Amino acid sequence: MGMASVNTASEGMQLCIFDLRRGQQEGQELDKILFFFPADLPFATQLSVIGLSEGLITFTRIFSPDAACEVIEAERHSHVFFEAESDIWMVMVVEKSKESKAACQVDALRKVLKEVHSLFVLFHGTMRSMLEKETSGGLIRSHLYPFITDYLSDFLIGKKLQLPSFHDCLMERGTVQMLTVGREAAIEVQSLVKVLECSAGTTSCYSLVLFQDLLVSTTLSPDDTISLFTYAVLRLTPHALSSGATSWSYLQRTNAGSQVPALSTITNSGSVSDNIYRSRDTSLDQDNNCQVKRPLHHNRWFRGNDGFLASDIWGADNGSQTSVTPIVYLQLTEERMYLCAYQYKSLTIILLVPVSSILNGEQGLSLVKQQVFENASLKMLRVEEKLSKGWGGENAYHVSGYRYLLVDDERVSRASPPAKVMTLAKDSLLAMSKLREEVNLEKRAKCSSSEVNCDKELEICVRAKNGAWVIARTSRGKELYMVLEKASEMLLYASDAVEKFSNRYCSGVFSLD
Amino acid sequence: MSANASSSQLTVGLSGSGGLSHAYVQYPPLKCNLPGSRGLYYDDANKLLLSPTSDQVFSWKTVPFSPHVAATADYINEGPVLSIRYSLDAKSIAVHRSNQEIQFFQRETRETFTHMCKSESESILGFFWTDCPVCDLVVVKTSGLDLLTVSFTSKSVNLVETKKLSVNWYVYTHGSRLVLLASGMQCKTLTGFQLSSVGIVRLPRFEMVMAKSDANSKPVLAAEDVFIITVYGRIYCLQIDRVAMQLHSYRFYRDAVVQQGSLPMFSSKISVSVVDNVLLVHQVDARVSILYDIFEDSRAPISAPLPLLLRGLPQSHTGRPVNAGESLDRNSSNHELMFYGDDWTFLVPDLICDVASKSVWKIHLDLEVISSSSSEVPSNLEFLQRRKLEASKTKQLCLAITRAFILERRPVTMVSKAIDVLVSSYSHSVKTCSNLKETKVDEASASVGTNASNSSRSAKDESRVGVGDKSFNLSASDSDDQSREIDSRDLQKSGKENLLGAESSRGEVQSSSLYTQQLGLGNNQLNANNSERQDSQLTSPAISPDEMYSCVFVPVGEKIVGDPSYLVAIIVEFLRSTNSEKIKVRPNIYVFTIQLLVRYERFAELSLLIINKVLEPSKEVAMQLLESGHQNPQTRKLAFDMLRQLSLHHDYVTLLVQDGCYLEALRYARKHKVTSVRPSLFLEAALASKDSQHLAAVLRFFSDFIAGFRNTPEYQDYFRILNEMNTGLAV
Repeated sequence: MGMASVNTASEGMQLCIFDLRRGQQEGQELDKILFFFPADLPFATQLSVIGLSEGLITFTRIFSPDAACEVIEAERHSHVFFEAESDIWMVMVVEKSKESKAACQVDALRKVLKEVHSLFVLFHGTMRSMLEKETSGGLIRSHLYPFITDYLSDFLIGKKLQLPSFHDCLMERGTVQMLTVGREAAIEVQSLVKVLECSAGTTSCYSLVLFQDLLVSTTLSPDDTISLFTYAVLRLTPHALSSGATSWSYLQRTNAGSQVPALSTITNSGSVSDNIYRSRDTSLDQDNNCQVKRPLHHNRWFRGNDGFLASDIWGADNGSQTSVTPIVYLQLTEERMYLCAYQYKSLTIILLVPVSSILNGEQGLSLVKQQVFENASLKMLRVEEKLSKGWGGENAYHVSGYRYLLVDDERVSRASPPAKVMTLAKDSLLAMSKLREEVNLEKRAKCSSSEVNCDKELEICVRAKNGAWVIARTSRGKELYMVLEKASEMLLYASDAVEKFSNRYCSGVFSLD
Repeated sequence: MSANASSSQLTVGLSGSGGLSHAYVQYPPLKCNLPGSRGLYYDDANKLLLSPTSDQVFSWKTVPFSPHVAATADYINEGPVLSIRYSLDAKSIAVHRSNQEIQFFQRETRETFTHMCKSESESILGFFWTDCPVCDLVVVKTSGLDLLTVSFTSKSVNLVETKKLSVNWYVYTHGSRLVLLASGMQCKTLTGFQLSSVGIVRLPRFEMVMAKSDANSKPVLAAEDVFIITVYGRIYCLQIDRVAMQLHSYRFYRDAVVQQGSLPMFSSKISVSVVDNVLLVHQVDARVSILYDIFEDSRAPISAPLPLLLRGLPQSHTGRPVNAGESLDRNSSNHELMFYGDDWTFLVPDLICDVASKSVWKIHLDLEVISSSSSEVPSNLEFLQRRKLEASKTKQLCLAITRAFILERRPVTMVSKAIDVLVSSYSHSVKTCSNLKETKVDEASASVGTNASNSSRSAKDESRVGVGDKSFNLSASDSDDQSREIDSRDLQKSGKENLLGAESSRGEVQSSSLYTQQLGLGNNQLNANNSERQDSQLTSPAISPDEMYSCVFVPVGEKIVGDPSYLVAIIVEFLRSTNSEKIKVRPNIYVFTIQLLVRYERFAELSLLIINKVLEPSKEVAMQLLESGHQNPQTRKLAFDMLRQLSLHHDYVTLLVQDGCYLEALRYARKHKVTSVRPSLFLEAALASKDSQHLAAVLRFFSDFIAGFRNTPEYQDYFRILNEMNTGLAV
C-alpha cells in the first residue's frame, strides 16, 4: 500500500546518496548506498543508477580532478550531481518534461540537493563523521531515510513531487530573504540581539531574528545562517506553524492547502521503508533506530505558553513534561548548540546556546530561557511593534511593472512576490529560465578559470518569443534578473527600465553607464 | 574642648564615616574681624557681609567666595543699626535705625536723608531693595508693605503703593524675590508677595500646618521656623513643626501653594542650606546634616546623616579632618571653632557665619562621597548631571563611574539606563546651549559693580551659573505634575507674560528638564537688562558623544579582555540612545566599533550594522571597512558600496583600478566625470593584464576623454608599448 503511493509520488525522480569509499569490492556494492529514493526500487535498479553515476564521476575526474561532472543530459533524463562531502555524492535523476525539454533548471536542482544536505548536517553533523562513528552505515541510513523523505514531502503537490522548474526561475533556493529596516528599528534589533546574548550568560551564543519569513538579524556565519534560516522558514515561523504547510517560504503560500493527504501517504511509506532498512540492519544496530529524530517531521512544533517553541520530535525530558531541546551543529566549528526558539507575534527569535556551557541539561536551559524572557521580553515587544509598523505586507517588495530577482553574493536574495511572478506568460518564464542557465554557465566558467577576480560584469538583454524583455545583469557579485512584459520594442526602453530599477532599489549597483 | 583632647577622640568619632563627609567647609574661612565692629549683617541681594563700626561700614564680597577678599569701607553716620542693605545698583546704603526710622546714604556724595514712619502705631519690621519695576525699596511694617521709590536728588522717598495687612513677622530672600508675611494668633497664616523685575504678584493666603500637643496648646510659629529656598528654579518654603518634629515643605505656584510632604527632624534646632540645588537640612543639635535632592518628588535623603567636615587645615594643626562636635584650637587666634555651635548662623543659601569668631565658611558638597554611597548608578548619574557648580570635576566623576560600571560587566540593560541618562542630559544641554555659551549671570557682582574681577575667576568653585529669574509654577492645579504640564503649555503660548519672576540668589538655569529649560530661556531674557552676562568655561557636566568615545569606550576597550561583544552591546545601546535624542555621532565611534568586531571576526554582525546604517556611512567608516576587508572580502564589498553611495568618486575609481577592474572604473569615471585619477594607473593596470585590446581601449578612452592626452609622453610611451605588443603578436 505504502509502496504504491511512493511509486506514484516519485514518478520520474530518483535521488541517491552514495559513498565512493565504501563497497569497492565486488559483491559489497550495496554497502556504498546510503540512501535511495524511491526506496522500494529493486537493489539491482538502484545499483545500476549508482553504477552509472560512479562511472561518470570517475571518467570526468580524469579531466577535472577537482570538479567532476555536474550534470548529464540524456535524452529523457537529466542527472544532477552534487558532491556533498568529499567522496559522498548526491545524484538526482529527473525525467525531462515533454513540453519543455530544455527547461529543467539544473542549478535549482543542485541547490535542492545542497539544501537537504546542509539541513541534515545542521541536525546530525556531517555524514562522514556519522560514518566514522558507526562504520556499518546502518546509523546514517536510518537517519537519512526519514530525513530526506520528510524533506521531499514539502515538494508534494497532490501526489506528485513538484521539483523546481522553469516556473521558479525568479527565486533562488539556498539564500536568505532579508527584511529591509530603517536605522532606528535596526538599532532596536541590535540592542535586542545584544541583550539576548548577554542574558544567556555565555559569550559564544548566536542568534537569528526573523520577522514573518524574513531575516532581520544574524550573528551566525553565512552558511549556518542559511541552513538555520531555511529550517526556520520551513518549520518555525508563525506561518510554518499555523499552516503546518510545506512551502519553503511565505512566497509559496498558494500551495499550502492541498498537501495533507499526500503527506500522510509519504510518511506511511517512510515507515514502511524504514522497515526495509531496519530489517537489513537489524543485526548491526538495533538501538539506534528508535532514537532517530525527524527534525523535518511536519506539525511537530508548537508555541508553548511561555512563548518558546517546543517540539516533541526530540522526546520529552525524563520526569518532567518539558520537551527536549534540539541540538544543532555549527558547520564551521562543528560546535553543538542548543536551539531555543521564541516567538512573539510575527517575530521569531532563535538563540543558539553552546551545549558545553550548560551543565545540567534541560534544567540549566530553562534557566537561560527564563533569563532571556525576563531581560528581553520588553525589547522583543518593542522590536515587533517597530517592525510591524514598517512592514509593507506580503507584497512589500513588489515593484509594479517589474518581475525581478536580485541575488547578492549567492547568499541573500529578493524577488517579486510569487503571486506576481505567476502572472507572467509561460514564454517569458521559459526564456528567463534559459537565460539563467546561461548566466550560471558563464559564472562557472569564469570562476573556474584562473582569474583572480571572478566578479566580472555581465549584461544580457533578450527579447522573448512573446515580445517580453528578459534581462540579466551581474556586477561585483550581485545579480539582477528581470522580466519586462508589455514593454516597448526598444532595447533602450529595457535598458532604461533596468537603470531606473537599479537606481531606485539597488542604490545604483547595476547602473553601468 | 581643646585640640589635644579631641585628637584622641577623633578616631572614635570618625570610625563610622572614615573621615569622609558629603559636605564640608574649606579652611581658611573669610575673617570679618575688625576692631570696633558692632555685629555682622548679611545682605543677600548683593551677597555682601557687612560689619558696621561707629562711623563706617565694612563690606566683604562673598561671591566669589575667597577668604582673602579685602573689605571695602563706606562712611555712615553714627547710630544704632538694626539691619543694613546696599541698594541693588550699589550706589546707596540703607540702614534700619529703629522701629520708626530708616536712613539712606549715597556712597559717592555721602549725601544722606532719613525716612520716618508716618504713624506712631506702626513700626518697621524690616526692609529690602527690589528690582521690581514700580519701586526701589520695600518696607515691611506691622501694618503691611510700603512700596517706595528712593530719590537722592529730592532727598526723599515716595510712596508708590501700600499693601495693608497686619504683619507679625516676615521672611524674605532675594533669590526668590518672595516675601512671606505672617499674621494671626499663631502666626501661621501667611501671605506672599513676589516682587520681581516682571512685576508684583500676590500669592493666595495660606495656612501652615501645625500639630498640637493637646487641645488647648496653640504653638506659635516664629520667623526662624520658616525658610524660603530656591531649588532648580522652583521656590519652596520649609516650615518647622516642633510638635510633630517634621519639616513641612510647600511649593509656590502663581496662584496656589501646594504642600509637598515632610522631612523628618532629629533636632529641635534646624537650619537649611542650598548648595548646587541640593538641600542640606542641618540637624543642629544632632550635629549632622542630611542631604536631599528634591528634583523629583522624592523625599528620600541622598545620603546618610553625616556631620560637616573641615578640610584644608594646615598639617601643623591637626593631621586629620576635624569632625563635628570636635573643637579646634587655632594658634593664630585664641578661640575655638565649634561645629554646629550656638554661634553658627546659616546664611542663604550656602554660607555659615560663626558669629563668635567672626568667620564665614562656605559649604561645599563632596560629590565623590555622595555618589560612592549610592549603589544605583543610573540615578546617581542623573543626580550628578544636575550638578553645575563644579562642572568639570563632576564630569570627570561621571566618566569614571561609567567606565567602572562597564568594566564591572554589569547587565546591559542597567548600563543602557546609565547611558540614557548621560545622553539625554547632553541633549538638553545642547538644546539650551548651556555647554557652549550659557550666560552666567551674577547678580551680586553686577550690582556692586566689580565686573573687572569676574573674568579672572577660576571656574572651579565660582562658576555659578545663570541666575535667572526663577519663576513659580503658575497653575491652579493641585498636583505638581499636572501644573507642570499646564505650565509648559502656557509658556509656549504666551512666553514670559505669565512668568512670575523671582530671582534666585544662587539658583541656576536648569537644563535637565524641559520644563525648567523653558523657564530658563525666558528668564535669561528677562534678566538681561539688569544683570551682567558672562561666558563661563564649563557650566554643565554633560558628556558629549565625543567624550563618551575618548573617555569611556576607548579606555574600556583597552582594558576589556576577551570577546568585545559586551562592549559592542554597550555601544549599540549608546547609538540607540543618541538616535532617539537625535544627536549626531562622529564617525570615530563607528570606526572603533568596526575594529572591535573585526578583531573577533564578527563579520556577520558587522555587515548587518553597515547594511542597516546603524554605523552610518562616512568616508572614515568606508576606509576602515576597506582595511578590515583584507580579512573578509564581504567586508571589502561593503566598503566599495559605501564609497559609491557616498559619491566619493575619486576613491571609488582608484579602488576599482587597484582591484584590476579598470574597465569598470573607466565606465564609472566617464559617467561621473572623474578626472582626478591619473591615466597612468589605468594604463598600468591594462598593461598588467597583458591584453593588448584592453590596453588599446584604455588608451583610446583617454585620448577621447582628456583633451590633449595624445601629446603627453604617457600616451607616447603606451602607444609604443601597444605597437610592440601587436607586432609581437603578428610575428
